[in-house]
Amino acid sequence: MRERNQTIRDEDHELVSLCKKGDVDAFEALVKKHQKRMLNIAYRMVGNYEEACEIVQDAFISAYRSMKRFKGKAKFSTWLSAIVMNLSKNRLKQLKAQLHREQYSIDNPVLTKGDPASSEPSALEKLEKRDIQQKVQGCIDSLDDEFREVVVLRDIQGFSYDEIGHLLKVPEGTVKSRLFRAREVLKDCLKQVIGDL
Amino acid sequence: MECSDIQQRLSAYIEGSVSSEEEGLIEEHLKACQQCSESLADLKKTLEYVQNLEEIEPPPWLKQKVMARVRSEAEAKRGIFQRVFYPLHIKLPIEALAVIFIVVTTIYVFKTMQPELELAKAPSEEVRPRILVAKKEKAPALDKGKPAPARPTEKVMGAEEQEIAVEDYAEPKPPARIAEGEQLRPSAGAVAQDELKRKSLSSELRLAMVERKGEGVRFTLTVLNIETASKEIEDALLQLNGRIVKREHVENRNFLTAELDSQNMKELYENLKLIGDIDEKEVDYEAWEGDREITIEILKKP
Repeated sequence: MRERNQTIRDEDHELVSLCKKGDVDAFEALVKKHQKRMLNIAYRMVGNYEEACEIVQDAFISAYRSMKRFKGKAKFSTWLSAIVMNLSKNRLKQLKAQLHREQYSIDNPVLTKGDPASSEPSALEKLEKRDIQQKVQGCIDSLDDEFREVVVLRDIQGFSYDEIGHLLKVPEGTVKSRLFRAREVLKDCLKQVIGDL
Repeated sequence: MECSDIQQRLSAYIEGSVSSEEEGLIEEHLKACQQCSESLADLKKTLEYVQNLEEIEPPPWLKQKVMARVRSEAEAKRGIFQRVFYPLHIKLPIEALAVIFIVVTTIYVFKTMQPELELAKAPSEEVRPRILVAKKEKAPALDKGKPAPARPTEKVMGAEEQEIAVEDYAEPKPPARIAEGEQLRPSAGAVAQDELKRKSLSSELRLAMVERKGEGVRFTLTVLNIETASKEIEDALLQLNGRIVKREHVENRNFLTAELDSQNMKELYENLKLIGDIDEKEVDYEAWEGDREITIEILKKP
């Protein structure tokens, strides 16, 4: 689990202040800094790369328009994640109405974590790894929205329970109980699609 | 603790968010329970799969697209601001000229309106005598050809009656009718001309009044002592039930204006002859009727 660096002062505070004064370059710096994390949140939520890119674009534009209303009660990254999460959930509702969800994602994201060239896995290993990744994503996709969002935020993105509660506007206890059930469902799903874990 | 309780706490146990006491109980149970140990292993493996999901990389165009939209919106906002206030080197002179134009127009309109507003406020004095003159000019025209004594019914107007008459004539006339026959000049320099006009009209009023009085009786009496003679004349008028209307002293001579019944006019004439030298020829006063205005000019003998 990735540990988040908890600081009292938001590290984006200065950039956010500049943005509020109309500094577009400061906003560009924020986009550059957070786009990858936001894209990963969106992708794990909707399970589609192109859709995730669209969501992230809309989220940044929405954040830019609402920047003056950002009071700094939470970190900028948390606030931005909440926007991405809301847009993702809205998009999911639309997609559910349009598409028949496949068991597994057929989408082919740009994967970046590669081993060094010296120890590059064989083609078979690559295929196996990709297959596992797709199965895991498939299981995540199969979760109910309220389970999926806590798994994405806690187990994939490493937000604290407090941040997740603030972000989803639910009590911390609710986050924990949802996470417990989500993990159980996910475990059962993975057992089914992968076999023995 | 039952297996179900343990399995419910495994999620928190993995994260290390259980109390040390609870942690001890769980670990003790796990040593003895194969099923719960397997559950823990499965849960750990599940989290491992999830956390090992590879991160996806944003496409290069993502930031460009976002910033293109952001810059476009920023430009639009700035565009509105600029349309209103920029470029100052063009807008400021235009705005300054507009302000000057408005000020000049306002002053012009105000100056043009001012005389009319003053006239509208009150039909001023200078207009009223004009009406009287007009009336005066019309009246003799109607009586043209008739000798003065042959108009005994025409009443000589006293000063107060004249004022009333003026009011009567002036009141019903709106400013538009007042302006008939005379050109009002509503211009910026109208004030000085108005003053001249006022003086001219005042002269006309005086002339009219003199002429009016001329229809009465006028005596010129030459005496040794003006003041003594004036008192004697006043006494004589009062004895004859006359009414003193006005006393004036102008350049070593007194003017005494009074109203007297025509029937007493002859007696007054006789009394005046006793006070000084009178230049008025004797008139057939007995043919007159009603009150008459008389003006007696009292001169000092040379």
